[in-house]
Amino acid sequence: MPLFTRTPHAPLEYSKTLWMRSWVTAVMLFLYMPLVVLMAFSFNDSKRNVVWRGFTTKYYAKAWENDQLWGAMMNSLTIAAFATIFSLIIGTLAAVMLWRFRFPLKGAVDGTISLPIIVPEICLGVAFLVFFSKVGWPTGFVWPFNLSAIIIAHITFCFPFVAMVVRARLATFNREQEEAAKDLGAGEWQAFRDVLIPHIKPALISGSLLAFTLSLDDFVITFFTSTPGTDTFPVLVYSLVKRGITPDINAASTILILLTVVLTAVALKLQGVKSIAGSH
Amino acid sequence: MDINEFLKAARGRRSLLQGLGVAAVGLTFTSTLAGCSGAAPEKLANGEEGLLNLYNWDDYMGETTLADFKGASGVEVKMDLFENNDTLFAKFRAGNPGYDLIVPSNDFVERMVQADMLMPIDKAQIPNMKNIAPEFIDVDYDKGREYSVPYTWLVLGIGYRKSKVPVAPDSWKVLFDSDQYKGRIAVLSEAGDMFRLYAKYMGKSVNAITPADIKTIEAMMTKQKPNIAKFHSDDGQDMLAKGEVDLVLEYNGDIAQLMSEDDDIAFAVPKEGSQLNSDNFCIPKGAKHPKNAHAFINYILDADVGKKVTDTILYPTPNMAAKALMPASYRDNPAIYPPADVLAKCEYAKFNADLQPLFEEAFTRIAAS
Amino acid sequence: MAEQDWKTSKRTFATVSTGPLFWTLVFFLVPMAFVWFYSFGRNVGLTEIEIVGTLDNYKRATEWLYLSIFLKSLAVAGLVTLICLIIGFPVAMAITFASEKWRPWLLLGIMLPFWTNLLIRTYALMIVLGQQGYVNQGLGAIWGGASWFKTLVGLQPLDTWEPLPLLYNNFAVVLGLVYVHLPFMVLPLYSALDRLDKSLIEASLDLGAGHFRTLMKIVVPLAAPGILAGVMITLIPALGAYLTPDLMGGTDSQMIANVIERQFKRANDWPFGAALSFLLIYAMFALIALQSLRRKTPVDAR
Repeated sequence: MPLFTRTPHAPLEYSKTLWMRSWVTAVMLFLYMPLVVLMAFSFNDSKRNVVWRGFTTKYYAKAWENDQLWGAMMNSLTIAAFATIFSLIIGTLAAVMLWRFRFPLKGAVDGTISLPIIVPEICLGVAFLVFFSKVGWPTGFVWPFNLSAIIIAHITFCFPFVAMVVRARLATFNREQEEAAKDLGAGEWQAFRDVLIPHIKPALISGSLLAFTLSLDDFVITFFTSTPGTDTFPVLVYSLVKRGITPDINAASTILILLTVVLTAVALKLQGVKSIAGSH
Repeated sequence: MDINEFLKAARGRRSLLQGLGVAAVGLTFTSTLAGCSGAAPEKLANGEEGLLNLYNWDDYMGETTLADFKGASGVEVKMDLFENNDTLFAKFRAGNPGYDLIVPSNDFVERMVQADMLMPIDKAQIPNMKNIAPEFIDVDYDKGREYSVPYTWLVLGIGYRKSKVPVAPDSWKVLFDSDQYKGRIAVLSEAGDMFRLYAKYMGKSVNAITPADIKTIEAMMTKQKPNIAKFHSDDGQDMLAKGEVDLVLEYNGDIAQLMSEDDDIAFAVPKEGSQLNSDNFCIPKGAKHPKNAHAFINYILDADVGKKVTDTILYPTPNMAAKALMPASYRDNPAIYPPADVLAKCEYAKFNADLQPLFEEAFTRIAAS
Repeated sequence: MAEQDWKTSKRTFATVSTGPLFWTLVFFLVPMAFVWFYSFGRNVGLTEIEIVGTLDNYKRATEWLYLSIFLKSLAVAGLVTLICLIIGFPVAMAITFASEKWRPWLLLGIMLPFWTNLLIRTYALMIVLGQQGYVNQGLGAIWGGASWFKTLVGLQPLDTWEPLPLLYNNFAVVLGLVYVHLPFMVLPLYSALDRLDKSLIEASLDLGAGHFRTLMKIVVPLAAPGILAGVMITLIPALGAYLTPDLMGGTDSQMIANVIERQFKRANDWPFGAALSFLLIYAMFALIALQSLRRKTPVDAR
């Protein structure tokens, strides 16, 4: 076929095929077009995001000076960072526990750990609201500890996602490798660290990206666990719904996107781009 | 795996976690610094620390009001936002999460008083109460203003695009009972408000609905549903602005704001009458800075301050002194201040604990039909 | 792979399990227990709930009105998951087989839109889909062009362009949900495909099977745990979605989560909302338990 003779490639190099490339391009276009619209409208000289009226950067200035917006964004990022780290740890431990061991009531534990995923968010939000108020969780802490209630809530609904992703990856692990390492004299922890973890690394990365996204984006649960001054970005934006989204919110979102790109680039640089997606 | 891969892999995992950790710590550090830069509020003459936690609707405050208040009294106001009364109520149900001043609507003032959530207002601390028009002092939902101080008032009506709606609507029929503008209508998703307005359309009072009426109205709404594009949650003016719909059921303040930007928009209160609302300042029980809260309310009721607020939000105000300072374009705007004969047919809704669940269930049925 | 009995290495088991178990117990089971008790309660006054051990809430929750809404939500969520799977699988494959240089960028590219606030993304999508949005403008331009072409050739021009109703209906809800949930499908798929032994695919191709057949008979069964994880991670949140149907849906698009939200907020009927939520949870619990049983027999590479 003429299409294929133009770019000869090995049978497994699916990425070079035309249909694969066009598919991925189409998907990327679909995903990014609204974002591009959003960023374009952050320069729109109009209070409402309806028609294009002219180019201006005044909304960036407005967003920069908006303390409330910054406070909310800082809160969101901090909560997401802490939630991701702790969910990663707890989720991986849970995945290993379920994958490796047989113990009484295992089915029940498996189901319970997956429960936070399926509980409707509003139900979980109300549950936390009631819990923290009945327990008398102190609310007067200085920042960032006043975010502790929200962070706890986020970890609770993020770690099952991490556990699920890691488990899918663990299912393809060949235990003989671990046993071989042990035969060679590695201790339990060493085997875990040097054999298991590298294998599940793509899952760890996917899992932490997933947890970060979920936490950053969460609205319902954060809303119910927030106290004065702990508004996060989604909660703030949702309460601005009444006026429709104004360009300064678009400006703030654009800044947030750029910030996350920068953070990820930093992480990638520290890690080495290759090893993040390396296969063995 | 050979020894080199072992080492590489081990280093790799460690440095990824390091990377994430550094990023998180870095963030926390810089933000702590930013947070620390704000000095702790000092104690004021009235014995409370100089802080006020306000929970308000969005875009419902003057641009410089909070800063001005800080300059005048030394109290720093932290304002959080909510988007509807139910959200406010749901948050306070399990106890006050730490706010000193809230802004519920009239029927929620009633609800919260019944649920014992509000502190009585000490009128001695609010001399500027004299600026409020007399008809707002003794209202059904809070006789004698024990628990609330009015901030704004609003009326529901029909906002529409003149070029697409040749005959100005003067009745609820066009929204509730006709397929003339099929697919170009948006109405509220608030069950209580919708049932009460239908009652008005049927010629009854908003507070005289019986369960039999609910059945009738439910049938009417189900019949009208195919003509409705959306049950909006207070973003009706946005839909109208974007041209998604040509007629919306909305508050006059929202439409007035839109009218200042778009000449093609108009507003009408139907001849059958409508529902009045009013947003009020209340002090919830458990507020840590009640004296500051009273001081703030008094400040807002001042004529000049009130004028600045109204300049920004353009809602009808119960503050006569502030209204007098506003330009004629605001005072004479029939969208903001409907004529007296129309207003005579508008009523405040009373909170009815028995009917509310029936409204909600019926509305769920309508939405599912 | 054989599982170990926990007794054989108690210390390791203890290290691995204390964290998750403690957290789940204290910060998940206890709060949920409160709400569970509420579902057996009754509203007393406006803020108090009396736990009376009544089943009224559950009886009401199983009425046809609410069951039908639940089934409809399930259908919508299922459709969304299917579409995500069909769209996402080639993307996951493309990432897996991409060169080392491209892979992290492609991964980042898929994840990036989902770090934007959901509300803002939805509004941006609504601008694009609106009556005067870009999709309609684009289609209108094409229509206009076709009409003009027709007049050139001497035929009657087409009728004036009516913008397509792309918003405030079920189509918009499905589109919006697919838009939100796509990366939740791609990531686990990629994670599973990545571990795949490529030599198996090569072998299959060498033996004469076409690409599609190799895909169906080799790749899919081996990636099955990842596909299942992806399906679960997509189906279940889609079932519980409420922002997207609320913003982009029409009068017909009420999903179960919207009803539950209504009970907790506007209707102020927490016991009933709790009962509805728990029925939903029990149903999903059954699904997950089923899946857990299947996982006991992992697919071998043979």
